[in-house]
Amino acid sequence: MALKDLQKTIENISSISTLPTVIERITRLLQNPKTSAEEIGRAITTDQALASKVLKLVNSAFYGFPGRISTITHAIVILGFSTVKNIVLTASILDVFRRKGTSDLADFDFEQFWMHSIACGAASQSIAKFLGNKDKEECFIGGLIHDIGKVILCQFLPADFIDAYSMSKKEGILFYESEKKLFNITHEEIGGMLAERWNLPKSLQNAIKYHHCPLPSRDYYMNTAVVHCADIFVRSLDYGNGGDDKIPAMAENVWKNLGLENTSLTTLFDNIEDEIEKANVFIQL
Amino acid sequence: MKKIPVSDIQDGMVLSREICGSSGNILLGKGVKLSTAMGRRLTNWGIPFVYVEGEEESPEKKKEVEVLPDELKNQLMLKFSNVINNPIMKKLFVTVYQYRLQKSR
Repeated sequence: MALKDLQKTIENISSISTLPTVIERITRLLQNPKTSAEEIGRAITTDQALASKVLKLVNSAFYGFPGRISTITHAIVILGFSTVKNIVLTASILDVFRRKGTSDLADFDFEQFWMHSIACGAASQSIAKFLGNKDKEECFIGGLIHDIGKVILCQFLPADFIDAYSMSKKEGILFYESEKKLFNITHEEIGGMLAERWNLPKSLQNAIKYHHCPLPSRDYYMNTAVVHCADIFVRSLDYGNGGDDKIPAMAENVWKNLGLENTSLTTLFDNIEDEIEKANVFIQL
Repeated sequence: MKKIPVSDIQDGMVLSREICGSSGNILLGKGVKLSTAMGRRLTNWGIPFVYVEGEEESPEKKKEVEVLPDELKNQLMLKFSNVINNPIMKKLFVTVYQYRLQKSR
């Protein structure tokens, strides 16, 4: 497939997506210091499906207020604008993730893929917390949607997706290695293009675009490195499956810069598994 | 004498070694008859294992339990096969293997 075709496909996807309208409106409101919790609450409640998802998340063990928050306004007062913004962002992107499409996907297991994404989000958050990175919520979303390029392939170019999937199985290689061989473009770049079109925060664009090789992320390196690491840990600990059965090599710079050499990895693994347990709410969303 | 996890305690088992608390005080003496209710209390006290009278498990049964490490190793080896010569990944492999083995016990 030519790069030009792919770009065209992505342009089409962006135009049919409902993501930017909700997100853009809420992001704009949140940037204005005069915006009140009620105004945000009203904006979110115009989309009922979104509002109920946000409430479900807010009341889960993941955010630590099980069953006590009944309105969006209340959620904003308790959790703060930025957390609610992240929850809204998560809930709306998940809609795209969960749309399965109708094509036959051979024996590709969408549930396992979903599990890999959630585990990767939880692991990213856990690693960020462990390392004292203050962007733990953004790391969570980064991990959760790092493979969004695969979702796009799967939904809009299912035949190509299956080709890459089958090649990875048959040759025992990584999904992105198959993509490179077949299309000369990978889910990182595809996801990156989409994230840019959607105007997602720059740190998320980078986490998606460079999760296999974080160095070019520059200003957003630390968050991308966390997601890179989470992807590898989650595969090692055997949570879900992103479409291949192999583990990518950890970038040496990530190993060094996150200080993993002098870290108790087993303690970190324990934290990661606890966080994944709590993130189970996303499976039912 | 055999070592068993507290969760495996059954009514009527007899302690073959005393159980000591964290400060060295004796909680239960040698020869005491155990019950499942006492097992639960021991769990609350943070005692993981006890020694009771009786034979060690037969070698065959032991062998069955030992299959697991190999299975896990093979399964992980398959995942790591393309990167195992990378020193960082080798280190990670060993850590993950030990961690998961510990967890599965």
